[in-house]
Amino acid sequence: MDKHEGSAIPQALQQHLQQLGQQFSERLSQELPQLAQQARQLLGADEAERTRLLQELRHQLHRLAGSAGTFGFSQLGQQARELEQHAERWMERLLRQQQSLNEFVTALQALGEQPTSAGAITEPVGKARKLPRQEDGSRTIYILEGEAAVGENMRQTLSNFGYRAEHFNSTAGLDAALQQHLPDALIIDAKLPGEASCGLDYAHQLRERLDEPLPLLVLTDQQDDFATQLHAVRAGAMGLFSKPVDIPQLESRLERCFSQQHGEPYRVLIADDDQDLASRYSLVLRDAGMLVEILSEPARIFTHLRDFNPEVVLLDVNMPHCTGPELAQIIRCNDDWLRIPIIYLSAETDIGKQMNALIKAGDDFVTKPISDNALVATVFSRAQRARLLSDALARDSLTGLLKHADIKEQVAIELERALRSGDRASVVMLDIDHFKRVNDEHGHAAGDNVIRALANLLRQRLRRVDSLGRYGGEEFLAVLPDCTPEQARLIVDEIRQRFAELRFIADGGEFSVSLSAGIAGTDVNSDAEQLRERADKALYAAKHSGRNQVQIAASEEHRG
Amino acid sequence: MTELKRILHVEDDPSIQAVAKVALEAVGGFQVLSCASGQEALDQVQGFAPDFILLDVMMPGMDGPKTLELIGQLVDTARIPVAFMTAKVQPDEVAHYHSLGAHGVIIKPFDPMQLAAQVRQIWNQRNG
Repeated sequence: MDKHEGSAIPQALQQHLQQLGQQFSERLSQELPQLAQQARQLLGADEAERTRLLQELRHQLHRLAGSAGTFGFSQLGQQARELEQHAERWMERLLRQQQSLNEFVTALQALGEQPTSAGAITEPVGKARKLPRQEDGSRTIYILEGEAAVGENMRQTLSNFGYRAEHFNSTAGLDAALQQHLPDALIIDAKLPGEASCGLDYAHQLRERLDEPLPLLVLTDQQDDFATQLHAVRAGAMGLFSKPVDIPQLESRLERCFSQQHGEPYRVLIADDDQDLASRYSLVLRDAGMLVEILSEPARIFTHLRDFNPEVVLLDVNMPHCTGPELAQIIRCNDDWLRIPIIYLSAETDIGKQMNALIKAGDDFVTKPISDNALVATVFSRAQRARLLSDALARDSLTGLLKHADIKEQVAIELERALRSGDRASVVMLDIDHFKRVNDEHGHAAGDNVIRALANLLRQRLRRVDSLGRYGGEEFLAVLPDCTPEQARLIVDEIRQRFAELRFIADGGEFSVSLSAGIAGTDVNSDAEQLRERADKALYAAKHSGRNQVQIAASEEHRG
Repeated sequence: MTELKRILHVEDDPSIQAVAKVALEAVGGFQVLSCASGQEALDQVQGFAPDFILLDVMMPGMDGPKTLELIGQLVDTARIPVAFMTAKVQPDEVAHYHSLGAHGVIIKPFDPMQLAAQVRQIWNQRNG
């Protein structure tokens, strides 16, 4: 069968091959001038166009390198091969340049965000040397405080809040403990009497010794001193508290540090008519641990905002039908979404046009192409800020608990979750008994103390999955997922007893206060508002039966 | 052992397609079905029942490796030797193609007079 191989070429075959060679040569006479033409375009092209042209040229050169030799144009094929490699090197160089420019931009942006978030952007929160998390979710806090009484008091109070707190009098003691395990957070007094270096210098050195910074809170005698503030921030402090320390406030800052570290992933909504680009951004942000949704139909913006509740919106400026600035203005027409940062993504480098878009609506402008790192950094910093702000807005300043509207929303969310999972949840309404009397007899400051104490007690005794809010003046609303009304009653009744045992001090005298509570469970079909009303009715029944007690709402049948 | 007769050739460049067909039919005495794209190959492979598949690596749309992957869902490529044709060959690349399931790599540009012998060599390695 291989009779022709290696032997003289039959004439017919030779003719055929020659004919094919002729056709190829005709093709070359058309294709080569086209290649030259494309090459000339490279000179005037901008960066994106240049990359595209180079890619196309490289592909054609590759084909030529593969085919020319077969038809006897060995030299041409060789040249094409060399040019192909040349084009490849060019593309690599362009990419490297772009990358190095992007890295420069990222570095500069990170500079502006030091020191609170820069580490968080690049470093995943490591666990290497940390103690394993406790089963009950408690975290370890190390306190470095020279004054034994202050440190011990703080340790005791933080333990009551459910932390595993340890107190050290000296840097030597803390150093020894750190050799064993790293805590989840550090609290360090700026002044350390009897030590060679001050607390802030120690914190600074410690920061350099650790692979990744630990959340750090600093205690100081004078918070207003700018030099101390600067020193603390340079040492990596995430909070500065002047003595005597308001421990509930310090505790809520700790919580904030942790939620920043281990909080839910940031939610980002992308609107870009270029599907490929949108998918690419989405991939990059997801890779950085964020949740991403792509808005393909601008008209559905509010549905997406409601359902997805994004913390950052990325908008392409030039979209058909509805431009980015137009969509941004539509979002800004609605007060509900004021807190969401809007970032434009655009190839537009004209500062004037960028300004124009920003004046209409929107918060920031990011120029395409953007490196992956720069995109993540930009979105991360915006999302972080947005979450902190919306958290601050949602929380009551006296108690640090969710406010009225937000806890109601939380009840609705938990109820929905319970319906989906088939688990039972309980809603609790609590009210301080005769609170008006406390205010009248002991003054508003004493009243505030009582409210704050109950808030702290609730926060301490309830689980982390439970949501808790200040519903009204002296009224609290909590939702306990995966918990029957009977289980809830045991928990709330224990809180009631502990609260009644608390001794408050005002005008040199002591007083105590009691509370009443009503509980309703999802075992009866009802919506969030009905559920809350049933808990409220149970609360009034408790009040009516003499206060200082907990009652479960009557089931649907009994209510008639 | 089956005899090597029918070769499916997938190549988007019409010049190369034509010369390879001539080289394999006239020189090698094989029967060649030329396809201009991976999709065309997928449409034809079952009907043609080739003994050997020759795939260009770089094709627009569906490239050679992708075509091989999809062909593997239609016919038993473990029994049909497959060779890639490529203009760019570095040692690690050959290993890569083998890892994709190819039994041989033919380097472009090829000599039309030698192509049939190259194909037969890969065939023999496989079936010898």
